[in-house]
Amino acid sequence: MAKILFGKSDFNLNPKKQETTKFVKANTQDFYKKRSKKYMEIIAGLDDESLTKTRGFDDFMEIIQEEFGTAELSSLPQGIVSKCFLGHPYEVHILDLVGNQILKHYKSGQSMEPSFEKARNLAMHHMYDIVEVYTDKIILIKSDGSTIKYT
Amino acid sequence: MSNQQIISVADLSFINKALRDINVDLSAVQSGLGTLNYKQEQIESELLQLANTFQKFVDEDTKHKALQLAETRIGNLKQELNTKYGYYAEVRRMATGILQAVDTGTVSNDTLKFTTEEVMIKAPGYWLAPALVAISSWIRNDKDFANRAIDESLKRDDYKTTLFFMLVMRRLKRNDASFKWLERYFMHQNPKNLDREFIIVLEAIATGIFHPNSRSLMMSNVKKWLDQLTQSDNFIDEQKTQWNKYFKASKPTSEEMYPLLEQFAENWDKLDISLREVRTHEILYHHFNKIISLSENSKSTIVQLDEILSLLVTKFDDEELPLQEKVRLQELIIEKDGDKKSAQEMVDAERFIFEEEVDFLQLLTNACFNPELAGATTATQALAVSISQPWIVEAHETFTAKIRNETPPSFKINIEGFNAISKNGDNEKELLKKQAIYYDNITKKKIEENGFPIGATIIGGLLCLLGGWLCIDNLIIGVAVLAIGIVLIWVNLNNLSKARNNIRENIQERHTKAKEVLRGCLAEAVDYRGEHATEDKKAEKLDELLNAITPEDFSSISRDTSRNII
Repeated sequence: MAKILFGKSDFNLNPKKQETTKFVKANTQDFYKKRSKKYMEIIAGLDDESLTKTRGFDDFMEIIQEEFGTAELSSLPQGIVSKCFLGHPYEVHILDLVGNQILKHYKSGQSMEPSFEKARNLAMHHMYDIVEVYTDKIILIKSDGSTIKYT
Repeated sequence: MSNQQIISVADLSFINKALRDINVDLSAVQSGLGTLNYKQEQIESELLQLANTFQKFVDEDTKHKALQLAETRIGNLKQELNTKYGYYAEVRRMATGILQAVDTGTVSNDTLKFTTEEVMIKAPGYWLAPALVAISSWIRNDKDFANRAIDESLKRDDYKTTLFFMLVMRRLKRNDASFKWLERYFMHQNPKNLDREFIIVLEAIATGIFHPNSRSLMMSNVKKWLDQLTQSDNFIDEQKTQWNKYFKASKPTSEEMYPLLEQFAENWDKLDISLREVRTHEILYHHFNKIISLSENSKSTIVQLDEILSLLVTKFDDEELPLQEKVRLQELIIEKDGDKKSAQEMVDAERFIFEEEVDFLQLLTNACFNPELAGATTATQALAVSISQPWIVEAHETFTAKIRNETPPSFKINIEGFNAISKNGDNEKELLKKQAIYYDNITKKKIEENGFPIGATIIGGLLCLLGGWLCIDNLIIGVAVLAIGIVLIWVNLNNLSKARNNIRENIQERHTKAKEVLRGCLAEAVDYRGEHATEDKKAEKLDELLNAITPEDFSSISRDTSRNII
């Protein structure tokens, strides 16, 4: 029946799966592509120690740039907010990709910079592993790497 | 000496009495003030309750009146529709009537000719009238007359006439002619600017009533358009925005399940909206489940073609749209029990249904939101949902994330000025302790306000001194003055103690009540979070349901094809 209706196998209704189509604008669609396992793991395993050791931060940035296919800061998230596993009283942490302090941990009730504060509730929700905060949008990443456009 | 003694005793007794009287009065005033304060607080609390009850009554009354008004208005609007466009109804019924009469061979050519030509006169400017004349001329083999009538019909409404003859030819099993009409129809179509009646083509796909050739033409165009419109984000983003509005407008009304939080949580408005929105997942689950479960159809091709013809001739007369839109608003006000705001939200979400020209993706969205108003059946609704599935899922994910982000992280409770913040209602012990300190402080403050009666005590003290001094001269007078002084001090201290006890008792009573309210609020907070989490999980269930939908499940294959295969 499938072949009879939307016969050709290359017919695709899902805009998420159209990355290979030549008409798709890569710079809009790439933001929403599924995140790689490597990326998910490096974000999940981040701690102050791994970032401060020799080449720790450089290695990390290489993986980030590889994930987003660019080294341009404007195309990278301003920061990545996720649950903090240091435990109470810490709630969330920000991986600041443009600021000076790389990893900042926030206690319950402690306010974050306004651009990150709007991602706080989402980062604390168990359905989202990572919240990427850009200057003009927020992208939520689930544990399987799939993305959700928030704004 | 004796005169002096008599006068002195009389004077002292008078002063003594006067002082006692003053003290009694002062005590009464103090006690009265305490009672007054207490009563004032009680009145304030009762007034607040009364104001809340009154506001609820006003809200209910407003809804009730809106409901009554909507019921009256809907009748008037339908009457207006009938008066203005009622004459179309006769012509519309005639379309399928003529075809069924031809099927059974029960109507003479003369009757057909007379009736259809009469319609031409009765419905000037209406596209269907010459179309019917064309059919009757064609039946009696009057080619010239038929051509002239078709020309006129095409002039009045090209697209509707084309679709009409495509359907009629298919009904008469003249598949080649039907195909040619269809080809003609597609030649003029622009997926970014389609007439509303295009939905008829989707209906034909959903019901599988077309010959394989025609069906293949429809499918290739639909596929091409989908590819074209989904290349960039613009069209899809517009649909996602509308789905988001639709999801928001689908939220249920408040159920008043958390009365204490409603009264004492300062952020109740946000908490209430979040709860209503999270309850939407369940409603949406049933909505979509119903759509995809209703797609079975077992009607014959002729019956379905007649239904589609009826849809074409009844649902797409644009001049009726403004009135139809007004009718819809009144229907929604009735559906939402007089809640005009919720009804307006849904009308805003559905507003493109009443647009004369829309893009293809919008047409799909219209069919998903309200197939009846969009001019289709539930079969097309299921097909439209299945095609729109990718952006419905994305819109729902965004909608869910927005609810999660906008759910207040804590309950901001205010009981008699005591502010309590609780994340999940699980910090009762800590808050009760803080509340006790709060009331202790109030007690201290009130006691301080009700200060020590220094003046009266000094007078009493001075009288005691005077009494002591007088004892040297005159023992009786001295003792009497001393006694007055002591009584004065004692009465004042006694009054002070009574007033302070009064304050303690009053505040203790308030504290006890407030403690119960706080416990109740926290218990409700625990229930609220529990319900919220349960409803939140349903979002995943709905996503699973939506992700399992595929267009193939809702587009019947061409019945001719299936017969060929069999």
